[in-house]
Amino acid sequence: MKTRSFYHRLSLLLAGFVFSTSVALAESRTWTSADGKTLEAEFVGTVGAGASAMVKLKMADDSIINYPVAKLSEADRLFVKGNLPTDPAALAGEIDKLVVNKLKESYYGLRDELAALPGKTDLSNEEKAKRKEEIEREMQMCIPNDPTNDNQFLRRIYLDIAGRIPTFDEAEEFLNNRSATKRADLINKLLDSPAFAMRMYNYYSDLFRIRDGVVMMGNGDLRADPYIEYIKHSIREDKPYDEMVTELLTATGQLWEEPAAGYLLADSGMRLCNLSNTFTVFMGTEITCAQCHDHPFEEVYQMDFYKMASFMGETETRVRGNQAMGDSMMMSGGDTRAEVARMSKLLKDAGKLRENETIDNNLQQWLGTRSIAVHDDGTNAVELPHDYKYDDGEPNMKVKPSAYFGDVVNLEEYESPREAFAVWVASPSNPRFTINAVNRFWKLAFGLAQIEPVYNIPGHLDGQAQNYELLMFLEEMMKDLDYSVKDFFRVLYNTQAYQREAETLSPTLTQIDKGTYHFPGPILRRMTAEQIWDSLVALTTADPEAVTRSGWQQYREWMNTDTTQLKTADEVMAFKEAWRDIGKLTNYNGQYVSRDDYVDGVEMFRASELRQPMPDGHFLRMFGQSDKQLIENQFTEGSSPQVMALLNGTITNKVLTSPDAYLIKEIAMGRGSKRDNIDKIFLSVLTRYPSSEEKSMAQSGMRARTNRDMSEQQKLEVEADAIGNVIWALVNTREFLFVQ
Amino acid sequence: MKDQLRNLDQLSRRQFVARTAKTALGVSILPIAGASTKVLAAGGGKAEHCIFFYMAGGMTHMETFDPKPGTETGGKTKGIPTGVAGVELAEYMPKLAKGFKDIAVVRSMTQQTGDHRGGSYWMHTSYQPRATIIHPSMGPWAQTLLGKKHETLPDSVVIGAGGNHPGAGFFGPALAPLPIGDPDKGVQNARPYSGVDEDLFEKRLDLMNTFDESFQRKFKNDDVTAYTQFYEETLKLMKSEDLDTFDLSREDNYEEKARRYGNSRVGKGAMLAKRLVSAGVRFVEVSAGGWDMHNDLWNAIPNTGGSLDQALASLIEDLKAEGLFEKTLIVLGTEFGRTPKINANGGRDHHPRCFSTMFAGGGITGGQVYGKTDKLAMAVEENPVTPKDFNATIAHAMGLDLNKVVYAPSGRPFLLAGHTHDPKTNEIVSEGHPIMELFS
Repeated sequence: MKTRSFYHRLSLLLAGFVFSTSVALAESRTWTSADGKTLEAEFVGTVGAGASAMVKLKMADDSIINYPVAKLSEADRLFVKGNLPTDPAALAGEIDKLVVNKLKESYYGLRDELAALPGKTDLSNEEKAKRKEEIEREMQMCIPNDPTNDNQFLRRIYLDIAGRIPTFDEAEEFLNNRSATKRADLINKLLDSPAFAMRMYNYYSDLFRIRDGVVMMGNGDLRADPYIEYIKHSIREDKPYDEMVTELLTATGQLWEEPAAGYLLADSGMRLCNLSNTFTVFMGTEITCAQCHDHPFEEVYQMDFYKMASFMGETETRVRGNQAMGDSMMMSGGDTRAEVARMSKLLKDAGKLRENETIDNNLQQWLGTRSIAVHDDGTNAVELPHDYKYDDGEPNMKVKPSAYFGDVVNLEEYESPREAFAVWVASPSNPRFTINAVNRFWKLAFGLAQIEPVYNIPGHLDGQAQNYELLMFLEEMMKDLDYSVKDFFRVLYNTQAYQREAETLSPTLTQIDKGTYHFPGPILRRMTAEQIWDSLVALTTADPEAVTRSGWQQYREWMNTDTTQLKTADEVMAFKEAWRDIGKLTNYNGQYVSRDDYVDGVEMFRASELRQPMPDGHFLRMFGQSDKQLIENQFTEGSSPQVMALLNGTITNKVLTSPDAYLIKEIAMGRGSKRDNIDKIFLSVLTRYPSSEEKSMAQSGMRARTNRDMSEQQKLEVEADAIGNVIWALVNTREFLFVQ
Repeated sequence: MKDQLRNLDQLSRRQFVARTAKTALGVSILPIAGASTKVLAAGGGKAEHCIFFYMAGGMTHMETFDPKPGTETGGKTKGIPTGVAGVELAEYMPKLAKGFKDIAVVRSMTQQTGDHRGGSYWMHTSYQPRATIIHPSMGPWAQTLLGKKHETLPDSVVIGAGGNHPGAGFFGPALAPLPIGDPDKGVQNARPYSGVDEDLFEKRLDLMNTFDESFQRKFKNDDVTAYTQFYEETLKLMKSEDLDTFDLSREDNYEEKARRYGNSRVGKGAMLAKRLVSAGVRFVEVSAGGWDMHNDLWNAIPNTGGSLDQALASLIEDLKAEGLFEKTLIVLGTEFGRTPKINANGGRDHHPRCFSTMFAGGGITGGQVYGKTDKLAMAVEENPVTPKDFNATIAHAMGLDLNKVVYAPSGRPFLLAGHTHDPKTNEIVSEGHPIMELFS
């Protein structure tokens, strides 16, 4: 290979010569390798991208050599980085090469194994037959799948980026588009749409366990609205991922002032659990067991756990007594109680409280949440457990914060141990931080991670992954993209690997465990509960993102109200009334959504805007929406209650199928020619047109029940019914529920 | 996907499909591997079923099972005799006082936390809430330890609970209790939508199968197959008699019975629980709220307390009539009691230091009180009982092995009534102990 000789030549050059400064070329500069050797050369450009990127250098003798960017000094890497291609197509091309190489390598390996199988003496014939079957199956999964057609791509990309299927109009627009770049254009458009923020919010909210009421064991009066908006805003603005993580870990104050505080407040009073959760979510590392004893399989000692926990040992989530929160308006403890008593007396005197009541409970609970805030109080509360049994510490002993892997942390450089911890976690040099992010994001796009399970990446990877080279490439790419989540997904979705058809066979658990699924295509997945719900929403309106939750500003104003200025019972009552409006959904025009905006009594709005999570028994929960109690607690397994909801529930029997339903009235009867009714319904629900057989089956319902004596109106009704049946049947197919 | 991955080495994929396919109402019907046999010791193991009444909000002990009339904290509540010398119940429990020989009252419950969710979690699971794991509640524990009781009916059902029930915890969704919101409505969406007759339903299914044919032919994927089997199972279930079990309106003399049970949510819950237990369901929880009486307690208690009294008394009567009383444990629990001190709003606040629970049937010796609080009902004076002991008592009655260690998918060991290390043997043993005095 050509490159190898270039490598060789360059290393010889670096080893043998130190260039004199007198050989000054016009744009020549001094290049330094990571191990300190130098060379004068002119920058010509780069080849490849990510981890395999090469810098093209023009030597004094005009020859051109390629040198791996990864082997350059930090300063030179930065210089090159500015000139690296961030063009998604180029990066996607690199990924595709790595995917195909791995598939090939694996295919040939399996082929050789198959050839050698008959000669194997240590296997019985039965074992050989079984192994043969396995090998053949795996070989089949080493052949790249066919490229998706436009319909398949369209449906999948909408589900993956926008979190729902395309509406009829969106589908038509794309399918009628003749542009050669229409796929890349659609990816860009969707990444910049509000729908992407909703979709990613659903993902993060399952990871961070974002729920209304915020605090896991709280009474539910702390509102999540500002925190939820913070997450969505970060996605919309494409805040770099590492920056968001740092903010979640360092936010100080009350949630309505510092919304990112919601992350730590979720585990209020459960400091050690929060640490475990942070490791799982941001570093793909499961250390929970080290809370009580040394980790049985990994090099994590109980002492390590407490040294890590000690970083967060000064962090409190409650303000006690009269601890000042900085701003004079932030009252807590006694002050709030006195204010509530004063306002309650106003209400009591005006006859607004019940006979035996003297304190307004609502005010007490709502204003009581002012004492919930993240702050560092300077005393470290973390100590070894009372039953600590190893000889490197005593029970109840205080431990100093330190990290058991990654960079050594110098506490003196930071304002608090917590800040030091946050910087350590979200650092590009943390060996697990970026890997965890790209592993999880890859899974989001391809349905299976490079390393499973995602919450437990081995401390020493040793090449374990479905495609280790690719994983390393993705890690480097994430860093090169400065942790832009949008750009990262932009690249993934532009790969041919993603744009292939879904794998028809399911990878076996052994295959996943051994890392031998190499992505001939994404795997077939059941939609998440939110994707199902949001797709149903998309079947009821032309604009599924019209209704949003936007009460966070009102909430902040409410919590910051100087209640001492409320002098009359009426003013206090108005203040209480204002609370009721905070969680309300609004339309584009800022108007509150009312029951009139529901469809047949059902709140058909995006899942990310509804209650978090929805109550038990709601359609979303039935299909697996996380209860937000544990990390990644959503599920996609089926159950009879789900099937019954689809067969007999309001949504399939009324919301989507009554004669007034959007799909029937506006789409089937309202767009284009009446003759294409069935086509329009198929395109709306399954993002494809019917086969001729399907079409005639669907139409037989209409023909069978109309006759010549009927009025036009009656015929229309019969037709509406028949279309309703088709919609019911389509939503009940497996094709609808699964992401191809 | 996640659950399967978690069980990577415990359950092969093929077994998984078999398992999901053979479930009805979302609950596995296969016996759980490693199920142990009943532990029969000292009067325990008689309860084949359990009906667990959970009073959400924190049931006031002083207005139910531990009245302190005439003391400074007793409030307006009077006591009424039970037939047992020196034992009175509160006046709002007249029927239970009358039938006191059937029930055993525990007055010395004590709890660590005064927040609703934390307290409820302790009572349901014997464990402190953690943000890294959900521990299972008693119904799924029973199924895990004893195997499935009925071939097609779910092993546990929870009636009227909100969203915070720990359910099957780390046992996974397959063992989750079937939730019923409104006892009068039964299983959600179990019948065809109104106006959809059998012909139409069949016609729609035909359409569905035609439309789905090409997809199912292409993707012979385990997850897809499992869904198709769920469709088949569900269609069978819709036609089966099992569904009638959940339909309270099919009860003989429904109107009269509903009246007798008090026409309340808790009364209807009790009626349905009895119907389910008669049909073979092992564990039914009936959750009833309205007990968080911070305000105006004496305005609320006649109704809330009265409904409970009537529901429990009628249930005991009916179970006896059907010969099920000795086989069915009735338990009453709550997250904590309420402060003896009456607050500014004429209510009582959260009081985890002491509270009351009740047991009946299933091998329990009635007509007794266990434990004692002080004069003001402020603290436990004799025989403290923790939530772990409470669950150990239920387990003992049902013949569950208290010392059976079950490992969560993460590899952490758990026991149904909490665990601790035996310093002598260094083995993991149950931390909760049954109240043996309740068993004869």
